Amino acid sequence: MSTRESNDDRISLLQGTLDLLILKSLVFGPCHGQGIARTIQRQSEDVFLVEHGSLYVALQRLEEKKWICAKWGSSENNRKARFYSLTDRGREQLAEKANQWRRLTHAVGLILDAGSATKPEEA
Amino acid sequence: MFRRRRSADDFAEELQAHIELEAEELRREGLSDEEARRQARRKFGSVRREQERFYTQGRWIWLDKGLRDLKHAFRSLVGSPGFTITAVVTLALGVGANTAVFSVMHAVLLRTLPVKDADRLVYLWTTQPPHGTGTVSSHETFSYAVYDALRNQSGGMEAVLAYVPLSGSKVGVRVGAQPEEAEGDMVSGDFFSGLGVSLQRGRGFTAEDEKNHAPLAVISNGYWTRRFSRDPAVLGTTLYVNGVGVTIIGIAARGFEGLEAGRSTDFWIPLQSRPELNAWGNPLDEGKTYRANPTWWCLRLIGRLRPGVTKEQAVAEMQPVFQAAAYTGLGTPPPGEKKPVLGLAEAKGFPGYAGQYGKPLRLLMGMVGLVLLIALTNVAMLLMARNATRQREFSMKLALGAGRADFLRQLLTESLLLVTAGGLLAWLFAIYATRALGAWAEIESSMAPDGVVLRFTVAVLAVAVVLFGAVPLRIALRAGPSLAIKTSAAVSGADTGKTRTGRVFVVLQMTVCVVLLVGAGLLIRTLRDLENTPLGFSADGLAVFGVKPQFRGPEQGRVFYRDLTAKLEQLPGVESVGLMMWRIGSWSSDNSEMLVDGRLPDVPNGGSRTVRMNAVGPGFFRTLGVPVLAGREFADSDTVSSQHVGIINEEFARRFLAGQNPLGHVIDTESRNFPITIVGVVKDHKYRSIDEEPIPMAWYEYAQIPVIGRMDVEMRVRGDALAILPAARKVVQQLDPDLPLIQPMTQRAQYDLTISSQMLFARLAGFFGLLAVALVAAGLYGTLAYRVSRRTAEIGIRMAMGARRGQVVWMILKDSLGLTAIGVAAGVPAAMLVGRALASSLYGVTPLDGTSYLIAVGGVGCVALAASAWPARRAAAVEPLTALRTE
Repeated sequence: MSTRESNDDRISLLQGTLDLLILKSLVFGPCHGQGIARTIQRQSEDVFLVEHGSLYVALQRLEEKKWICAKWGSSENNRKARFYSLTDRGREQLAEKANQWRRLTHAVGLILDAGSATKPEEA
Repeated sequence: MFRRRRSADDFAEELQAHIELEAEELRREGLSDEEARRQARRKFGSVRREQERFYTQGRWIWLDKGLRDLKHAFRSLVGSPGFTITAVVTLALGVGANTAVFSVMHAVLLRTLPVKDADRLVYLWTTQPPHGTGTVSSHETFSYAVYDALRNQSGGMEAVLAYVPLSGSKVGVRVGAQPEEAEGDMVSGDFFSGLGVSLQRGRGFTAEDEKNHAPLAVISNGYWTRRFSRDPAVLGTTLYVNGVGVTIIGIAARGFEGLEAGRSTDFWIPLQSRPELNAWGNPLDEGKTYRANPTWWCLRLIGRLRPGVTKEQAVAEMQPVFQAAAYTGLGTPPPGEKKPVLGLAEAKGFPGYAGQYGKPLRLLMGMVGLVLLIALTNVAMLLMARNATRQREFSMKLALGAGRADFLRQLLTESLLLVTAGGLLAWLFAIYATRALGAWAEIESSMAPDGVVLRFTVAVLAVAVVLFGAVPLRIALRAGPSLAIKTSAAVSGADTGKTRTGRVFVVLQMTVCVVLLVGAGLLIRTLRDLENTPLGFSADGLAVFGVKPQFRGPEQGRVFYRDLTAKLEQLPGVESVGLMMWRIGSWSSDNSEMLVDGRLPDVPNGGSRTVRMNAVGPGFFRTLGVPVLAGREFADSDTVSSQHVGIINEEFARRFLAGQNPLGHVIDTESRNFPITIVGVVKDHKYRSIDEEPIPMAWYEYAQIPVIGRMDVEMRVRGDALAILPAARKVVQQLDPDLPLIQPMTQRAQYDLTISSQMLFARLAGFFGLLAVALVAAGLYGTLAYRVSRRTAEIGIRMAMGARRGQVVWMILKDSLGLTAIGVAAGVPAAMLVGRALASSLYGVTPLDGTSYLIAVGGVGCVALAASAWPARRAAAVEPLTALRTE
């Protein structure tokens, strides 16, 4: 997923998506930035390539909103890293945002499917 | 927003950790250590950019950029102190002068009174008083009868209020033992409530207080502060005004200084009806105070319109009442006399001041406006020069990707910084200048800049900010990124078309400077003429003071003044002493038509029959040094019981007794019925003021007339006139310990007061003229010096090619002299227009006074020459080889 900024409304649309993915990747426990990026990349089967700048901006923003919190710790091979974990508010937000997202994709899917009836070769 | 929870270092560390974690993972996938690190870094992209993003995130970018611009501008201005100081001082002078003059104009002409709903307040005025009356001001004063009639017809006015000073100057008061002076007014009972002036302590007057002539007083905040140190216990204290005790019952709201033009009233008392407290401190006229005297129009009136009533409606209702009341006690008006017509004027500024100071102030405002124009163009020119030398800097910035918005912001910030500094300095300057102006013009009421003036100044400054930001922006953008590539000064300075704006500015400044100098010259020559006007006697060596004792009858007065004269004449250094009822040179006079041998004299072409009168003591003319041309002057032998005698001046004889021997004729006013026989004729001399034209005059002998009160004493002294005053004060206090000397000063100073507004006007005009010249010189020098420095390489080439130094100097001079010629050519006709506008303020000079024009043109020429000579010399001193090597 690329979020090169050039237009305000595109960013805001994609921002929400990245936020959602970050929150989701933290459900299973605290993780550092690099780990989050890897997780998203791996779980999306390499569809999304997380741009690191956006990632850290998003992390910063979520931290300021108090949806996640961070503290320095050590990785499994004893490297210093900043670990992020979900707060209670973050969990609530995740549930809500995931719900929103499903409704959105469902609605978009309905429209696209309706279009595919007339042009099946593009389905 | 301002305080971040995370430091940038912490963030940088996190990014570093990320890259290392990534590298480790890559190593685990089998890459070599080196390769893993390289790939991890590449995959991450620009660490710097992320740091920048982290930095900008959640900040008020514009504030951040603004602060950076401010720092940058500050550094850049501090880096060129010469430019900065010149620009700031120029601005401060230009804007400060405007603020000061506007402040005075605002206070004198525009400001509404500090009262509730000031827009409904109106001053009452009349076209002229009825025949046979005496006035204090022929359009602005009314009789008590008129006041009484107007306030009792309710109509469109909520209130009609009268106020009148207890003295033409200050009135003698006493709180403890020491006699002192203060300014006091008698006012209507509903004065404070009607005006809407609140009282910070105590109470105001009531209608009952006026009816009973209650011995009460309200004091002003200023007097309370100055005299009583803001002691709250002052309420209930007794103040003795001319010996009459009044109880202080209230302190008026801060900021209310009364309604007397240019003066600040210290205390107010309800309208009184007793001889000690007559209006204007006058002695009783045939035993009548102002209240009972319908022929003395001495009260000023101010009224409050009812809400929704226009001035026209109110006047329409009051007119018949006014015209009937105007003739109360005067009998039927003579046939053919035009009835006086009442009018209302918005209560802005002070009544009577618009006439005296209105025109000079507007002209001054125009002058300082021109000074401001010069100052602004000066700074603009300086900025252009400064920024033209920075063109390569701008060009480089453009080439490196700076946007127009960045430039505009940066230049506006610099401009803002400059203008702010200039504005602050200007404000300080204005505060001192208004104080000085007030002291000069003898205006005691506050003229300090206030909110409205601040808004005016800020508006001027805002224009300056935009101007000074926009002018260099044009230069900066015109530079274009390509200029950075051009390498030599000779090439980069080749686009000389841009100097056109600068040339226009120089011509404009020259024009304005000529106009200002001509105006200043005319006014200064007027002042010199006024100062050198012969008074008709020698005013030097004369000291004057007034005394106002309370007498039980005229005889007591005569004894007092005879004693006083005799005692003063015995003082060492005193040559002679004269008494006068109206102080000469103080504008005051007693005017009336006079009967000559029982009938009004014929005057050709309907000329004026007005005669100015005074009552003086024996030896008065000898003391002044006015020659007696025929007959004799008053002597001690002229007493109540001897023949009633009078003296006239030449002009009287010329106009009313042409071709006859004036001695022995009998003259009298129509109303007084006190005929006097002419026993002497004196030479014409100035009576009321320096700039008056000769007018018929008649003098009574003070000891013969039935009225005696305040007198002014004239002393001819050897040596320093002022030095005699302490001794004179002692003499007066031996006679009456309660008597202060009223306005003691030299007679010369008294006469100078009559031209104080012209003096002030001329000095200010001269000052602004000089200021303009100085600014123009600085501006011209700056521009030329800059242009010469830009042409150094060109000059070097010319000289290398064989140009002589003289030719180079001429090349530079020709340029500026050409501009000067154009400026002067445009300035002279403009100055003629200004001269015509000034005509009414001139005395003894014509608006086309050649000398003033010559001096102005010569002055501008000299300034131009001087300002160009230095850069020209520098140009001539250029060494061809060094010049070519400069880049």
